[in-house]
Amino acid sequence: MMDIILNTGSTVYQGAIIKGGNKFTEGYTREAGYCNINPADFEALGRPWFVRVTNEYGDSVVVRAKKTNTQQVGEVFIPRGIWANVVVTPETESTGSPRYKNLPVKIEKCDGPVQGPEELMRSSFVNGANAAEYESKKYLDKKTSQVGQH
Amino acid sequence: MISNVVKQDLVKEDQGIIKCTDVTCPVCGMSCDDIEIELNPTTVTTKNACLMGDAKFQELRSSHRLVHPIVNGERVAWQEALEAAADILVKAKRPFFFMGSETSNEAMAVGIEIAEYLGGLVDGNATICHGPTVMAIQDAGQVGCTLGECRNRSDLAIYWGCNPADSHPRHMSRHSMYNRGFFVEQGYQGRKMVVVDPRRSPTAAQADLHVQLLPGKDYELLDAVMVALRGQELNPDTEKVTGVSQDTIKKMAEMIKECKFGVIWVGLGIASTHGKHHNASIAMRLTQLANTYSKFVILANRGHCNVAGFNQVLSWTAGFPFAVDYSRGVPRYQPGEYSCVDALKRGEVDAMLVMCADLGGHLPKKAVERMMDIPVVSLEIAPGPQAFVSDVILPGVLDGMECEGTFYRMDNVPIYARSFTKPPFDFTESNEDTLKQLLKIVKEKKPRK
Repeated sequence: MMDIILNTGSTVYQGAIIKGGNKFTEGYTREAGYCNINPADFEALGRPWFVRVTNEYGDSVVVRAKKTNTQQVGEVFIPRGIWANVVVTPETESTGSPRYKNLPVKIEKCDGPVQGPEELMRSSFVNGANAAEYESKKYLDKKTSQVGQH
Repeated sequence: MISNVVKQDLVKEDQGIIKCTDVTCPVCGMSCDDIEIELNPTTVTTKNACLMGDAKFQELRSSHRLVHPIVNGERVAWQEALEAAADILVKAKRPFFFMGSETSNEAMAVGIEIAEYLGGLVDGNATICHGPTVMAIQDAGQVGCTLGECRNRSDLAIYWGCNPADSHPRHMSRHSMYNRGFFVEQGYQGRKMVVVDPRRSPTAAQADLHVQLLPGKDYELLDAVMVALRGQELNPDTEKVTGVSQDTIKKMAEMIKECKFGVIWVGLGIASTHGKHHNASIAMRLTQLANTYSKFVILANRGHCNVAGFNQVLSWTAGFPFAVDYSRGVPRYQPGEYSCVDALKRGEVDAMLVMCADLGGHLPKKAVERMMDIPVVSLEIAPGPQAFVSDVILPGVLDGMECEGTFYRMDNVPIYARSFTKPPFDFTESNEDTLKQLLKIVKEKKPRK
């Protein structure tokens, strides 16, 4: 397990997915469920296909590992989205803005696969004693309101 | 509604095909107003729109559009959904009203009115976006200008902690780098570009000078640039602390002194990292210092369309730009206490109205966990994380396409967005209309004492 700095941010492809309302599609997993890693860190992690990123609360998420020259050593990038936000911490330094950038996390090689958006939302939020209540009250991943659903 | 004047001039309808020019894009903070649309019964064709803008316009004909009101996962009649939403808000002790972006100022004003009526908290997308930059404006003061001035005058663009190639795809071609301007006739050959970013982003790859600082060292680097600008000696540890050599810092200071009109574009790279508003604040002080040598301005690359509008609307209604609490009958402002993430994290919010924002997808996990525990009413157009956490869904209307409205651009210039079609349902005309209907029911359920 390696200490590393996490930056999140937008990419134009991730932007096109979310602006098009396609958040519950495979495209979202493809464009937001990966992690850019510097080649030196990539080697140090053991040339992973997948990595697990864990924050100080113990929340963790599995994303695809990508070896890129765009990152510095000791710093990784995950596009803005539900995968990154599992580990983004809610401390705002009294500004209201959470720590989307420059967040100390731990990273390690792991097995896949990356959870799809509906699966990730369910495993992150529909659990514990209140799971049955959520099922009856929340919309979750139903499709009853969409065009063509009668 | 479709204004008749606009329809005569710009909207042409022929055999079911609607053609419209000069459409305002409701996606990013640039609010590009030169989009051309051809809308036929099954497809949408856009001209001039970027990848993100085109994706949003495709929503007009998407198969996943949410078009039916929903309560607890079941389709219900519109009035029933409004009643359920009003019940949730009226019964709450500490309701939270989140005014998202990509909708009109007119809709936000009604949302804020409901918050004031019920004594709730109100916040908007600015809080998780450039809220710290807005706090810095209050702290240090902004030397600003319009995007038009940047387009026609700027010969130096410093992109600090932003990556417009990804976040604002037409930024550099329309306003800041590659276009020809009145005083910059050579276009990109007459302009210089500096990118300050720890990543080698697609924007940095195009820069004349890429300053690759260590993550989270923006404040220290901005301070060092100010020292270099004043001609003072830099601390020997500067390179060790910031990751940037003294020569690079001095070169940047020289570029600032030599330009005729410079612009610092700040992004979330300074607002979301450690230091927050202090980073934005010192960037504004650097801009003020740079005016000693040449004309210099600073502008925030606002991510969402009309996120600046929320700050404007709340400022003229409550006197504060975001994070306002009406629980005592008068507006009180306290980022970190009344702001969305903090109020959710502490668990004090017991109901939420979310208009046109995907908080389920963009807030940290700890905040979304609270949203699962409380009733949430959403104005939403597509399935996704926000619909996932919602108890009541009121189908949203696409402002700037299906209804008219005012958007504030990232430089705080208001733009009136025209419509060229109508919503795919008849129970509401706009998000403003939806909230007005909701406010009426809220007032019936809880008359003012």
